[in-house]
Amino acid sequence: MAEQIEAATLIEAVAGFLAELEPELKGRRAFHAKVAQNALAIVARELAQAPQAREQALLAGVLGHDAPLDMLRADICKGLRAGTLGQGTPGLIAALLQVALAKCAVDNPRYATFRRLAV
Amino acid sequence: MAITPTPEQVAALIGAPVAGIEALSGGASSATYAVDALRPDGTAWPLILQCAATGSVPEGGLPRRDQALLQQRMHEAGLPVAEVVRVLEPADGLGEGYVMARLPGEALAPRWLKLPEYAAARDGLTAQVGAVLAQLHAQPLALVADLKLPTGSTAEALGKMFANYRRFGVDSPVFDLAFAWLKERVADRPADTIVHGDFRSGNFLISTAGLEAVLDWELAHLGDGHEDLGWLCCNAWRFGLWDRPVGGFGQREALYAAYEAAGGGPVDRERVRLWEVWGTLKWGIACLQLGDDHVSGRLKSVERAAIGRRVSEVELDLMHIFAKGDV
Repeated sequence: MAEQIEAATLIEAVAGFLAELEPELKGRRAFHAKVAQNALAIVARELAQAPQAREQALLAGVLGHDAPLDMLRADICKGLRAGTLGQGTPGLIAALLQVALAKCAVDNPRYATFRRLAV
Repeated sequence: MAITPTPEQVAALIGAPVAGIEALSGGASSATYAVDALRPDGTAWPLILQCAATGSVPEGGLPRRDQALLQQRMHEAGLPVAEVVRVLEPADGLGEGYVMARLPGEALAPRWLKLPEYAAARDGLTAQVGAVLAQLHAQPLALVADLKLPTGSTAEALGKMFANYRRFGVDSPVFDLAFAWLKERVADRPADTIVHGDFRSGNFLISTAGLEAVLDWELAHLGDGHEDLGWLCCNAWRFGLWDRPVGGFGQREALYAAYEAAGGGPVDRERVRLWEVWGTLKWGIACLQLGDDHVSGRLKSVERAAIGRRVSEVELDLMHIFAKGDV
């Protein structure tokens, strides 16, 4: 273990604190405390799963060159807007499906479409 | 801010005594109240008052006065829509809005979609909403000629949606793929039908007997009637009940059959699929918009920030459609 208190440990501690606080809150604040715990769970999954590295590799594979993720995304979008990329581009649909799965695994693994595809 | 009305003010509006007012929901610019009024014969007259600050038009929507008039005309045409009792005038001093009948029923879709007491209502609902859409889409445009319903061809509407997406400066390869897919397929159809514009399970008022009313007419516009059929089948309104594509309660073919049987004209399967993709993308851009409320500082909130991450759900739905045919 690199550190005693890693980022994931801090997230877990803060989420625990919010859960403790929640029964004392009412209405909108109580609802927001729940949403905040969900948001922390997203952060924890993002740290553990590193979906951006996977996305970068998949998009670079489609384009045939590597670059920072933001630039790869922008290149794909530019190609789709200009019509130089499209549904027929080899590997595009398969890669974007894998990217979407990796992102949803982080953001909402309980989502029905994710569960249908992840089985 | 919306103005909080007193019972006396509301009584003067409707010309009947008011026993109580309760705020149901309130935002920065609009608010909804439950009003308990009494009819001349002393029986209960349950009403809803919706009012908003003067000049605040709902995003992409209809001025409230026109929304009320549209709702009233649809009620008079026999559609299941709450009767409008009074439209607010500037002299009323309550901003813009209207008073309408408060109908009994459950508006929270996750409740009526799942509770056993609504099972019979759910069984009949696909046929009911199919018939309602057929009836709505058969209304002559002359009926709304004096109202400011937004209009434009499907190609223009797609252009507007793309411009809206680009406002946020986000590059989503999946959204751009969906735009390219739509651009290739969208015929430049004229806007020749009254479209509800937000016809989904969350906007139905349901009793144990079935559909009581269709709510929220503020996104009504002129367009292609197939838009309502497609929007109703977007995955976001199924609340997890994905194997019932019609709002979490029915099957597409049963919806189309009911629509056709009620005089809605033949349903073009490819066109309605196009509107499902369109609707899914539109909901995705709405998630970007809500996330942007937080990022831009317009409405800083953990809830808005978290909704921004629901873009992933939409991207996965779109990719499911493109890879497997539908979702």
